[in-house]
Amino acid sequence: MNKLSLLACAVLIVGCGTPATYKDPNGRDLVVSLDKVNIQDFATAGSQMLQSMVSSPSFSKGAPVLQLGMITNDTADNFDTSLLLSKITVPLVNSGRVTLLDADAVAAAARAASGSNANVPHAEYVLKGKILEDRSNAGSTRQNSFVFQLTLVEVKRGVAVWQEEKLVTKQGTQNAIGF
Amino acid sequence: MNKILPVLSLGLLAGCTTILETGDRIERGLTPPDAVNYATTKPEGGFSTQLNDNRIGNKIELLAARKSKTDAGYSRVQFDLRNGSYLRQTINVSFEWLAADGSVVESQPNWIVTPLEPGALTTVTATALKTQSAECRLRLISR
Repeated sequence: MNKLSLLACAVLIVGCGTPATYKDPNGRDLVVSLDKVNIQDFATAGSQMLQSMVSSPSFSKGAPVLQLGMITNDTADNFDTSLLLSKITVPLVNSGRVTLLDADAVAAAARAASGSNANVPHAEYVLKGKILEDRSNAGSTRQNSFVFQLTLVEVKRGVAVWQEEKLVTKQGTQNAIGF
Repeated sequence: MNKILPVLSLGLLAGCTTILETGDRIERGLTPPDAVNYATTKPEGGFSTQLNDNRIGNKIELLAARKSKTDAGYSRVQFDLRNGSYLRQTINVSFEWLAADGSVVESQPNWIVTPLEPGALTTVTATALKTQSAECRLRLISR
């Protein structure tokens, strides 16, 4: 009996847990975390902001030269803000809707070396923004809102020509899977 | 010892997520799948629908699809949706753009979660990024 019980325990221990599987990153079965920005949150906010941005008058003609500015992460979660920006810049660049200035040191040096008279594009617009969060709770239910703010600044005039804010709010008592 | 082991086994069972997931699978097997539904604009105007989850017809009404062009000449479509039920519904939408020959030229694959109060209207706007994008295919899941 002792041996049988031990064997039953061993089987249960081995069978416990969910094996890792691949999931569609755009699918419905992704982990929804209360305390952090999930990958699908960047996709949701990014795609909605992209739709708003391409509808602005600044994108009504040609392919404006865009430079990426600072995106401040003002949340308690540590993540790379390019997770949001890439959702906007990748479709824009690949569809030819913007000319994106490479901001790394090599590109800057190449621009400086080419001289002021060279045919080098200069930024017409700078995209900058901020990601914030607001936490609250009622009893054991927690609510966390992440606020994604983006501003498009016209360099020539130094004025904001487009702004958008998207909120992603999650509520619950624990992390879950799915919508 | 003999008494402790079965208790330990029960404790393991209670904390085991695999067993909970099996229950979830059984529940999913007993209910119809939440299939994806489509509404596609037509070149001559209006739209066609493909309902794969008939329950959505009792919940969400697709009232109109308006096609226009932006100042830069890109296609833009607005779909008007209404929660026709007496309960709060959450719909999830995404869309794809089709060229004139029917091929998919761009897409927004991630789902946008849209909660709708009873009777509430919402407008889903999709603006194309490419000039060859002609028709818009809205994807809908009601949950």
